[in-house]
Amino acid sequence: MRIEGTHTLHAPRDRVWALLDDPQSLARCTPGMQELRPLGPEEFEAVLSIGIAAVRGTYKGKLRITERTPPERYAVQVEGTSGAGFVRAVGLLELVDRGPQTEVRWSGDVQVGGALTIGSRMIPGIARMLAGQFFQCLDEQLRNA
Amino acid sequence: MKPPVFEYCDPTTVEEAVDCLAERGEAAKVLAGGQSLLPLLNLRLARPDCLVDINRLDELDYLHEEAGWLRVGARVRQRRVEESEEVARRVPLLAEAVRYVGHPQIRNRGTVCGSLAHADPAAELPGVAVALGARLLVRSRLGTREIPAEQFFTGQLTTALRPDELLVEAQFPVFPAGWGWAFVEVTNRHGDYALCGVAAGVYVEDRRVRDVRLAYVGAGPTPVRLREVELAAVEDFRVAGEEARARLSPDGDLHASAEFRRHLAAVLTGRALRRAFERATGGEPHA
Amino acid sequence: MATRWLGARIKRNEDPRLLTGHGLFVDDVQLPGMLHAAVLRSPHAHARLLRVDARRAAEHPEVVLVLTHADLPPALQQPLPKLIPHPTLRHHKTQYALAPDKVRHVGEPVAFVVATSRYAAEDALDLIEVEYEPLPAVVDLEEAAAGRPVLVHEDIGTNVAAHYVQRVGDYEAARARGHRVLARRFVVDRGCASPLETRGVVAHWDAKVRQLTVWDSTQAPIPIRNGLAALLGLPQRDVRVVAPDVGGGFGPKIMMFYPEEVLVPLAAMRLGRPVKWVEDRREHFVATNHERTQIHDAEIAVDEDGRILGVRTVFLHDAGAYIPYGLIVPIVAECTLPGPYRVPNYHAEFQAVFTNKTIVSPYRGAGRPHGVFVMERLLDLAARELGLDRAEIRRRNFIQPDQFPYDVGLIYQDNAPLVYDSGDYPAALERALEAVGYDRWPQEKARYRAEGRRVGLGFACYVEGSGIGPYEGCRVTVEPSGKVYVATGVGTQGQGHFTSLAQVVADALGVDVRDVHVVTGDTAAFGWGTGTFASRAAVVAGSAAHLAAQAVREKALQVAATLLEASPQDLELVDGQVRVRGAPSRSVSLGEVARAANPLRGVIPSEWEGPGLEATRYFAPPRGTFANGVHAALVEVDPETATIRFLRYVVVHDCGVVLNPLILDGQIHGGVAQGIGGSFFERLVYDEYGQLLSGSFLDFQIPTAMEIPEIEVHHLETPSPLNPLGAKGAGEGGVIPVPALLAQAIEDALDDLDLEVTQMPLHPDALFRLIRSAPRRPA
Repeated sequence: MRIEGTHTLHAPRDRVWALLDDPQSLARCTPGMQELRPLGPEEFEAVLSIGIAAVRGTYKGKLRITERTPPERYAVQVEGTSGAGFVRAVGLLELVDRGPQTEVRWSGDVQVGGALTIGSRMIPGIARMLAGQFFQCLDEQLRNA
Repeated sequence: MKPPVFEYCDPTTVEEAVDCLAERGEAAKVLAGGQSLLPLLNLRLARPDCLVDINRLDELDYLHEEAGWLRVGARVRQRRVEESEEVARRVPLLAEAVRYVGHPQIRNRGTVCGSLAHADPAAELPGVAVALGARLLVRSRLGTREIPAEQFFTGQLTTALRPDELLVEAQFPVFPAGWGWAFVEVTNRHGDYALCGVAAGVYVEDRRVRDVRLAYVGAGPTPVRLREVELAAVEDFRVAGEEARARLSPDGDLHASAEFRRHLAAVLTGRALRRAFERATGGEPHA
Repeated sequence: MATRWLGARIKRNEDPRLLTGHGLFVDDVQLPGMLHAAVLRSPHAHARLLRVDARRAAEHPEVVLVLTHADLPPALQQPLPKLIPHPTLRHHKTQYALAPDKVRHVGEPVAFVVATSRYAAEDALDLIEVEYEPLPAVVDLEEAAAGRPVLVHEDIGTNVAAHYVQRVGDYEAARARGHRVLARRFVVDRGCASPLETRGVVAHWDAKVRQLTVWDSTQAPIPIRNGLAALLGLPQRDVRVVAPDVGGGFGPKIMMFYPEEVLVPLAAMRLGRPVKWVEDRREHFVATNHERTQIHDAEIAVDEDGRILGVRTVFLHDAGAYIPYGLIVPIVAECTLPGPYRVPNYHAEFQAVFTNKTIVSPYRGAGRPHGVFVMERLLDLAARELGLDRAEIRRRNFIQPDQFPYDVGLIYQDNAPLVYDSGDYPAALERALEAVGYDRWPQEKARYRAEGRRVGLGFACYVEGSGIGPYEGCRVTVEPSGKVYVATGVGTQGQGHFTSLAQVVADALGVDVRDVHVVTGDTAAFGWGTGTFASRAAVVAGSAAHLAAQAVREKALQVAATLLEASPQDLELVDGQVRVRGAPSRSVSLGEVARAANPLRGVIPSEWEGPGLEATRYFAPPRGTFANGVHAALVEVDPETATIRFLRYVVVHDCGVVLNPLILDGQIHGGVAQGIGGSFFERLVYDEYGQLLSGSFLDFQIPTAMEIPEIEVHHLETPSPLNPLGAKGAGEGGVIPVPALLAQAIEDALDDLDLEVTQMPLHPDALFRLIRSAPRRPA
């Protein structure tokens, strides 16, 4: 399932980049992130607890940075497994310089398997909601820094 | 498809129920009709530590009008609302829409408040609540608070309910004479979640449309009310349909693309408004 | 011989039991000490299986056994048996009991857990850690045929399991002579049967006498028994397989083996305790076979009068991840395509292709809906092209009633020549058109249009091969009580065999049909047979029952003749009595005859050929017998919402001599419902990773009573010369022509648009896109 959107962050591009590039900020803003442990320069082990309403699960998996072109492009690959199935997603972030602000154009491809396929029609909406939460959190961090 | 282990709370008073929720917070789920929760449990998509069963809360089993509001307690089954003459007379939109919820077997167990708390984006009753401007009464250990419908639905399957809160009552306003209502939806099979559904109300005076209410389900993560579309409908039903098509941004899924849903929204806007007009005028068709 | 029961519209013998909750389905089997199993299934469509760690599951206090591939005995580590080989099936890859090093479809079993309850077993599944290395999934059928993106079975170097060509005459020459050649691509997409009862297996191993009893919701208990005996190293006589009451089969329940059919008995033998596994619905969607996906590039060559010169179809058949059942479905599809028409030149060519999806095996229709869809659509196209009435073009091409037996020129699924035995195709069409009001339709349609309603009339014709061999058998026994006991090897999944076979036997023996008790599907009761499939059970087992009952009748007359001191020719069997014709007071009950046939002392005449009133007979038809029919319907389309509604549905059905019209109606109604479901409501939707997105009844929308119209059934009877009953199969006819009919009806309803329906199933969004992209048709 492809999803995409844009979000405006209230900081110049190089500051946004610095934040994205810092795993701890990423961890702090990723909804439900419980653990983020580096395995290598571009690879992390992650434990997330996410869901909406009653449909909630703890996902164990990996996050890999697949592209890093400062200060413009950032791509990640995430996969996680829980009792209810697995989620695999690739996400691409493109940062566009808007002076004191930065426009982030993001797109993603989400795949689910296992029992989660039963809720497949909800996935785009959930993914969009999580992305919204993520960027809102980044924005707050940028504003408060 | 067997649920994982859970604890079971069987309160007999609202106070007890609310205590259970306060102790467990996010790890608890309320069980009313179970028509949405039990499949999730059986599929192990939901794994609450505790089920709080409110089916023995007799004190929440009331359905009556008071001071211009129809008060529906949390234990009232959809079937009871469907069969109620009072609801048919006083809140006809609710009586009509509830007939589209699943099948009679589901409505025998499902509750009105349960459907609202579950907040499926394609469900009919949240659309009714938003169209009418319903109020949701919510209890916790801290007391009772009232949430207007337009603030209650916050996202897909998400409401403003906090983990320790129980939805105890839904209040639907009784509209004055002159208003006519209609609920229309498109499904592939009878009883399915709507590909697109429209709840419409039209206020007619001197054979002219003065005010319109419109809410869309299946067109976004929550029911959608767009004032611009309502204002357009006061002037012209067809234009309102086009406004809806332009302004709504539903997601596509395996059943229907975004474009098809927008198209349905346009078509159903006209159909719902025309039918509401006929009911407001006692059978006269809209020009 | 008077026919009192055969052909009567009587209620079913088995219904009081079933309707009062006294059926015995697999899940009703309760045994002391019984354990419960659950299966860990791959969530990936295609992946290497790197590691399966079941230690934490094994340590769960309520878990008794955990099996992975490595824990299986060598015989069960191999791919499971090949069922129906074919010379062109070069790569007859079959499934595993548990995946060894790779998984090839979502739902493929990876581990098997036995615990004290199903709840605990599912808890234990959560504890099994599996490491997968996901691989690209082979999902698109054309890409798959080209070997892209990867190979499902790496060792064979291709995704094409088989490539088969059948030819009649010379299509190329016919094409060159054609006045018009119409070519189109037709696509039929995946569907599944959705029986009310999912699969299930219970196994009990009695170690003292070394006997295995298996209850299995299968359509073929005898082959299962034979296969299990071979796999587990047991004598066939020490393995009993019972298909008890089965809540719907429809094809997918005939397979050998589903992994669980092997794992459950193995576990029971290892543990010395009964083991039960019941499939849940979520599993069913990925673990029980599918059918239907085919892409046909087809064309028809006609002369100026619309007569068929030749037809060609080149198609891809989606086999799924493995192909145990062989090429039955695509062979049946291409053999059904010529239908009731003279097709002097025919080229049928297919490739069966592996994909990373659930295995494909026959589902009600078994390829016939595809054949009919292609042929009926081609004829509709040709009619439109030539300006011919769509009924007229068919009339001009029908095989005529005096042309039987008619050799189509092909080899059918039973490896016998495809020769139609009897039928009256023109009469069937006329009857259907008359019933639906075809002659008045232009006025009716205009009337609807004036009301602002778009209603279309659609019809479709088909010929259905049924009643094929190799054989079935039946034993009829009269007990001293006078009650009659019938045993046969076919299973029953709702077809009413307990009644139809009883009717056959009751007539032969002159007893009340309620006094005839039929047992099906228990290898202990009858151990020779092949199964319930291909619309054959009533025909083949019924014929065997008839032959056995006739033999018992002859013997009863012989034995009674000695008791009544009369000649057998002067005796008749009426109401459970054997009596002298014209002197009814000289009679003896059938029960007394049975007792007399089994004396404790004395001499048995050699003509009796043994004691008792009992006979076992087999019926092996020389080839299949061909039923046919025409369906016609009125379908209303809402062009704004792209939804449909059936206003009327007419079935004209010829299955030869009808055993029980009530049961036949039920078969037809069920078939039509599945046909409608598979044409507009049910869809198995896959994403590009091979994930099934519609794997629950929330999204796989089987029609309800609200979507299925009243079905008006008319019967024609052209008896079959190939069996003593004159009967033809009736199980699948309801579903076969529905997609073709619906396509024609939709085009008729929207005939102001230049719109072509070449794909099934449709749904509102697909119909919306067709409507939107169709230009207006010039008046």
